[in-house]
Amino acid sequence: MSDTKDKNVQKVTLQSNDNSTIVVDRIVAERSMLIKNLIEDLGDEAIASSPIPIPNVNDPVLRKVVEWCEHHRGDTLQSAEEENDNRKKTTEIEEWDQKFMQVDQEMLFEIILAANYLDIKPLLDVGCKTVANMIKGKSPEEIRKTFNITNDFTPEEEEQIRRENEWAEDR
Amino acid sequence: MSNLRRAPQPGTTAQMAQHSILKTLQATEMIDSSKPVLPAEILAAILDYLPVPDLMRFARTSRRMREMVYDDTRWVARLRSMGCWDEAEARRRFEDAMKRRRELAARAAAATAPATASPTARTPTVGGVVSGQPTPSLSFVSSTTLFDASVEEERQKQMQQKQHILEVRDGFETLSVSGAVPSPRSATIPPVSQADPSQDPEALLQVIKNVKSVRGHARQEYGKIYGAVAPFYFDLVKARTHTDPIVFQVFRDPERQAQMLANMRVFAKSDWAAGSQQREDKLGTMIGIFESAVLREFEQGYEFWDVDGRMKKYAHVLGILNGGNAGIELFIQKHPIFSDREVLANPMDCINQAPADAISLEPSRRFFDVLSGKVNEQAGIIERIFPKPGPVFWSFVDKVREDIIVEYTTPLFDETHERSIPSYVRAVSGLFEQALQFCRALTPPKSATDATQQEAKAKEFALKIFEPHLDLYLQDELEYFTRQAEREVGDWEKKLSAQDASVESFYMGSFNNRQADKKDFLTSFKKVVMMPVSVLPTSLGLPGLPIGSPFASSKAAASASVNGTGLSPQPSRSQSPGPGVAATITRGGSPMPGGKAPTDELAAKAALMTSRLEGIKSLFSIEVALSLVHSAKSSLGRVAVFIQLGGQAGGEAREQCEAIFVTLLRILGNRHVKPGFDKAVTHLSQYNPREVSQHDKGGVAPLVTFIELVNVGDLISQMIDVFYEQQLAGPKIADRNDFLDPSGLAKKKFEQMLDESVAAGLNKGIDVLMDEVEYICATTQLPTDYNPSGPSSDPAATASEKDKDSKTAAPAPAAVAAPAFGAGLDMDIGPTHTAQRVRDLVSSHTSMLVGSTDKSMLDVFNGEVGLRLFGAVCKHLKRQRISTEGAIKVIADMNLHFEYIRTLKNQDLLAYFKALRELSQIYLIDARHAKEMATIIADGDRFGGIFRAEEVYEYAERRADWYQVRRDVERAMYGLECLLM
Repeated sequence: MSDTKDKNVQKVTLQSNDNSTIVVDRIVAERSMLIKNLIEDLGDEAIASSPIPIPNVNDPVLRKVVEWCEHHRGDTLQSAEEENDNRKKTTEIEEWDQKFMQVDQEMLFEIILAANYLDIKPLLDVGCKTVANMIKGKSPEEIRKTFNITNDFTPEEEEQIRRENEWAEDR
Repeated sequence: MSNLRRAPQPGTTAQMAQHSILKTLQATEMIDSSKPVLPAEILAAILDYLPVPDLMRFARTSRRMREMVYDDTRWVARLRSMGCWDEAEARRRFEDAMKRRRELAARAAAATAPATASPTARTPTVGGVVSGQPTPSLSFVSSTTLFDASVEEERQKQMQQKQHILEVRDGFETLSVSGAVPSPRSATIPPVSQADPSQDPEALLQVIKNVKSVRGHARQEYGKIYGAVAPFYFDLVKARTHTDPIVFQVFRDPERQAQMLANMRVFAKSDWAAGSQQREDKLGTMIGIFESAVLREFEQGYEFWDVDGRMKKYAHVLGILNGGNAGIELFIQKHPIFSDREVLANPMDCINQAPADAISLEPSRRFFDVLSGKVNEQAGIIERIFPKPGPVFWSFVDKVREDIIVEYTTPLFDETHERSIPSYVRAVSGLFEQALQFCRALTPPKSATDATQQEAKAKEFALKIFEPHLDLYLQDELEYFTRQAEREVGDWEKKLSAQDASVESFYMGSFNNRQADKKDFLTSFKKVVMMPVSVLPTSLGLPGLPIGSPFASSKAAASASVNGTGLSPQPSRSQSPGPGVAATITRGGSPMPGGKAPTDELAAKAALMTSRLEGIKSLFSIEVALSLVHSAKSSLGRVAVFIQLGGQAGGEAREQCEAIFVTLLRILGNRHVKPGFDKAVTHLSQYNPREVSQHDKGGVAPLVTFIELVNVGDLISQMIDVFYEQQLAGPKIADRNDFLDPSGLAKKKFEQMLDESVAAGLNKGIDVLMDEVEYICATTQLPTDYNPSGPSSDPAATASEKDKDSKTAAPAPAAVAAPAFGAGLDMDIGPTHTAQRVRDLVSSHTSMLVGSTDKSMLDVFNGEVGLRLFGAVCKHLKRQRISTEGAIKVIADMNLHFEYIRTLKNQDLLAYFKALRELSQIYLIDARHAKEMATIIADGDRFGGIFRAEEVYEYAERRADWYQVRRDVERAMYGLECLLM
């Protein structure tokens, strides 16, 4: 494998599911563990000659994701356990990320899905936090709407759950 | 990568299929199919970031969401983050439950088995939940039963829970009405699921403690905590000033406030929704404000020394809040003991109260006594004040160590180190002992620490005090000992050279009981080596210490002096002034002359030994060896106390002990014993019997000296052995079985050196002994002894020769011989004087060695002596002229030798002398029987192959009448007779 300097310069072409391509620095593309592993498996030459297909992600979303990756290109990668600890601690969202996430809900979900697919943990976390903030303070009905959830409870059942967890209610 | 599975878009439709048409309609109404749906794992991740109330609202959206929210692991994680989840407990509960279920199932199965012939009939009765398919086998039945039962139980529990909540709520409402919770906000505090429905604020405080770890019930358990703590928590976070939070209004009692705050601190750990960081910080500052307020109260109580009132109360409050470290620190920092004049003694007293160059440990002992009294007093107070007195007490002791003891010891050590090394080594070891004792004397509060723990603490404590000094001390101790030992040896050498080595008086002690003496001496030595343990008047009263430090007894002068003199060689030295005086003393047979009789058994024995061994005074001295061993012992004793520290320091101390032992052996061996042996060997090799005037003493002076030396060397070696066993192997300083152990190696080397010296000396000794034997034979054997009629036959030749000999060499034997000569031809058939003297000489020397060296060496020595004696006797015989009358004497002499050799119990040797005895008979044969003589000469068997015929012939030539019988003999031998016939 080539060293970091090369990665900063080396280019990788990503191809979204609507066949448009984006050329990014390799180090940016490797924020995605999926792509990183892919490159490691295929070898440098294969990457240089042909674009990497990202079949589950469409062009606007991919661009958005790449934008995030560009911004976070210098971040150190966290190991798995560290991340577990951190997730509990750092619930705050960076300012830049907050702005970045100011998109419509559909886009937000698409980004989360893409981050999940491409295996970009930090982005996924930011997305989840954003969604969590969206949920905060909403009534169940509002949540259902937001998340497209079918209510399969009878009103009695729903009331029972509410009572069960009365201790947790805001005052 | 594994996450790339995307929630299928038609997931909702699949769901729809399961439900009624009505529901489907309802769903289609709400679903905007263009919206992407997040997969379950992402939803789960999102839920992690949700605050609890939102989480519960989320649970109300649908069954699937409820399951996700209710997932036990989610709540276990929260409980765990608070440190309230005990996996072992959970497992135990789970297993208990399983067991119960299994029993239940077994009972149910047993009950139903006879009743039901077909499995299908049974199924519904067992669990109440139909599994839908017939259960074919019994084992399968039980497993389904298990499952069904558990589901059922779960359900029941949930039902109970619901009822319970209702009840609780009722209970709480009555409580709030009663006014225990004055804040209007807190009136809305939701019910807390507590085991006891009639709860009070006390239950709120204890909620975290009461949490149970039950699988499947983590949410409920968390709910209890949340219900109890969260209202206060969020309220406190929102509060602007420290007077606002309701927690301070609900609970008036500072202890409860502290408890609640502590609960909140724990609770904050489970809060990881957005903004938790700020909330925790806020809580931290609030707690900080509270803590400092409490601390102020505590301090005020401290100033008034209000032990059982404010101090106790606020120490407990602090303890509840956060372990109370701040209070403990304050207590220790401001403790009056650190400025107590009574405690702060002047370490220089130890030096000033003692004579010059010495050290008195009495002041330091008092210092430690006072200190331990004070500290123990504080232990009681600490116990009264603090909820957990153990750690407080130990950190208090730590502080005492740092500020008082180290302040005391360090200047003392520095000072003594500058003044004199002996008092330094004494001070370090003594203070160490005292410090250890101090620590053992501490009485920690209650059963906070058990005995072994305290012992460990004591060691750690002592180690911390002495660590900075230990290296220097160990080094100094070794150096001190080496210097002392070398000085000892040097002194002795100086004294010796001053005394002029020419005065070599030697003394033939009563050798017969030497072995008994040695044994006697060794037993007393052993006693003394072990004695200090029992005799040492330790002011500290240490039980079970392997070696006491002799100096610790300095204050108990009377009893110490007994011990001290026992250890010091002084009295015995004063007893043996000059060789001359010593000679008179010892010859007088009184080992203890003079007014200054040794008070101790060993000293007496040593004195006795020394006087007996006057003869080897110029070579080496048992006294010196003894005093070396003693100083080694005291050094070792001092170092050995550090071994109990264990760990690295203990290991170093142990190494140093071995080093001291090795040094002892090196100095004793190479500087003292070896030169002594060398000198003795040189003396031996220089010995010339002709130059020595006195021969009537019955021994060869240097050889006797040497053999004495061997004895003393053996004694020293045994002494060292005892010392090693007692001081090194006994207390496990050195491992007897470790062949790489330096002290063991040194000991072996020492013994080897001794053996080699002895061997070399004995080799020389044999030469010297034989020289002496030959000399005696040559000078004292009168020609008339074997040839009574000799003077008449050929007097001139032998007599003149003899005269010349005796004139040049020794006038004395001639004088002795003269009367014997004069007495003339006594027909006494006993052995001659010469033979007797030879026998006595040899036997006295060989017997001297018995018991001083090992048996194999003794055998070799005896064998060699015997062989050489044989040679000497043969040679001597060939020089004589023997008449038939004199033959009786010869036979008697040979018998004498034979008898002597027999005592040596050496068969090979005996054969030689047997042959010699046979040989001597040829002189008895009358000249007329020349023919028989010839047969004897030719009879090789007769001499056991020792002599060949030619040799026997040579002996036969020494017959006085040889020239008369020669013809006949030769004729008979060589067959000339036949020719005649």
